[in-house]
Amino acid sequence: MRLPQFNYTGPDTLEKALDLLAAHGQDAKILAGGTDLLVRMKKGLLAPKMLISLKALKDLSYIQQDKDAIRIGARTSLADIIASGPVQKEAAALSTACEKIGAATIQHFRGTLGGNILQDNRCFHYNQSAFHRSGRQACHKDGGKICYARDESDRCNSTCQSDGAVALMALDARLVLASKGHERTVAIADFYTTDGILPFAMEPTELLKEIIIPIQGAASAYQRLAYRSAIDYPIVCAGVLLKADTGKKDTIGEARIVVGAMARSPLFLAKESAELKGKSFTDTQAFQKAGNGAMNSASTFAVHNVGATLEYRCAMVAEMVVRALNEAAGSGKN
Amino acid sequence: MEKLDLTLNINHKPFDVRISPNDTLLEVLRDHLDLTGSKESCGEGVCGSCTVQLDGKPVRSCLTLALEAEGAIIRTVEGLADGDTLSPLQESFVNHGAVQCGFCTPGMLMTADALLKENPDPDEDTIRKALSGNICRCTGYAKIVEAVAHTAHPQDQCPDCASGIKSCCKAKE
Ligand SMILES: Cc1cc2nc3c(=O)[nH]c(=O)nc-3n(C[C@H](O)[C@H](O)[C@H](O)COP(=O)(O)OP(=O)(O)OC[C@H]3O[C@@H](n4cnc5c(N)ncnc54)[C@H](O)[C@@H]3O)c2cc1C
Ligand code: SF4
Ligand code: FES
Ligand code: FES
Repeated sequence: MRLPQFNYTGPDTLEKALDLLAAHGQDAKILAGGTDLLVRMKKGLLAPKMLISLKALKDLSYIQQDKDAIRIGARTSLADIIASGPVQKEAAALSTACEKIGAATIQHFRGTLGGNILQDNRCFHYNQSAFHRSGRQACHKDGGKICYARDESDRCNSTCQSDGAVALMALDARLVLASKGHERTVAIADFYTTDGILPFAMEPTELLKEIIIPIQGAASAYQRLAYRSAIDYPIVCAGVLLKADTGKKDTIGEARIVVGAMARSPLFLAKESAELKGKSFTDTQAFQKAGNGAMNSASTFAVHNVGATLEYRCAMVAEMVVRALNEAAGSGKN
Repeated sequence: MEKLDLTLNINHKPFDVRISPNDTLLEVLRDHLDLTGSKESCGEGVCGSCTVQLDGKPVRSCLTLALEAEGAIIRTVEGLADGDTLSPLQESFVNHGAVQCGFCTPGMLMTADALLKENPDPDEDTIRKALSGNICRCTGYAKIVEAVAHTAHPQDQCPDCASGIKSCCKAKE
């Protein structure tokens, strides 16, 4: 499979990269590890006129820890994150999520955390070769007016299958977005549109610079289900965070439950999370109830477009959430 | 589209090539340099048959632009043997019947070689995990895992192999 033609540029400073984005944003794409972008380009899903490579921007690869946060440069490889002691200790969910992504030889050395968050949403009707897609009418995401995944749907329901984003939302991470002369920080929970075609609340002139994970002294865990243990995207996954009450060590003071691969973005389940407050870390019944609640909430968003049947994926939401809660509660971090 | 001149360092030799920005490393290896050991199968990152090493790490050459490989130390399957002398890993693949059609073999070798550089005597779980990104449609993987496990235990030192049992001591532990 040949790639379409494009111009390539490899700026060696962040300023130059942001200048290029300011000038060519609509026509350009950032190339990090390329393990998502190049596949989509080979399939003819997009054909940017210019690729702006992060290869020379080594300054964007780092993991720094200070008193209240871990800061990760967007270009940091998944392998570096998996190997990082601070990430394992303070953000276990992210460490596990990165380890589960695809397979070591595909992503871990070239794939980056920024690219993982910003990989496009997926749908098995759309992420196909040009030849496959030419056999039928175009769907919304392909510029047409129908959706094969949900009858009568007036918009695209593509699924966010990023492992990293689910863990980061559970960890309440923030994203630093830079554009020429400007920088802003957003909570990852506020970073998503409800549009399957353009899933991220981000301008084409913006570059993801850094991911900030607050250190909360909390336990976190990540669980995912896929057909194979490697080379496969999640069909359901869950990331959770459990923080002890400041007064009572054996009681949950704050919980965050996030379900992934079920909607256009990872889903932070506010109600189920809030209900765990005040429960004991050993209250497995409360965990089961949270799992069932998560299943009901997440099921309303999911469509049949990432592999296993919808019924199976919905049923497994509860299982993934319960496993993740048990893992976090039992991790001895409280 | 403009053509670009660049020098790639492949198997410790410099190669001057004139490429287009959209040429992948795999296309340059195979079509420009006749280094056809690395194979294209899926072309989209799934199978691992195109695996080469960049600075010692296994990567998919079908998803790596040639331009992105400039400046890196590139190693392909052609760089494993020393003249006609196979590397111990290659030798072990031959001795353990780890090659059937052979299409996955270059990728398997490059992934396993990178693993053995980090961990010369890995156990079965470690080997299976390291090779989990490489698909083989023929062997059922058992013989490949044995071959890798056996690299550090050549046949003449292995009681099983020496007594004619071809299955590997190490992989079965
Ligand atoms: C076979 C296979 C299996 C996979 N399995 C999984 C899986 O299980 N889980 C999973 O989550 N992913 C999976 N992936 C997807 C992908 O490999 C990973 O998500 C990887 O982390 C993407 O990172 P990258 O650096 O290669 O991204 P790229 O492909 O370089 O970039 C992805 C997107 O993000 C944009 N981008 C990247 N960095 C920036 C930045 N700093 N600022 C602005 N825009 C940016 C790019 O323009 C592009 O649109 C799989 C891919 C393949 C081919
Ligand atoms: S969810 Fe519907 S519109 Fe979106 S990519 Fe799939 S088929 Fe197309
Ligand atoms: S050809 Fe590169 S992974 Fe299949
Ligand atoms: S030997 Fe045929 S694919 Fe592995």
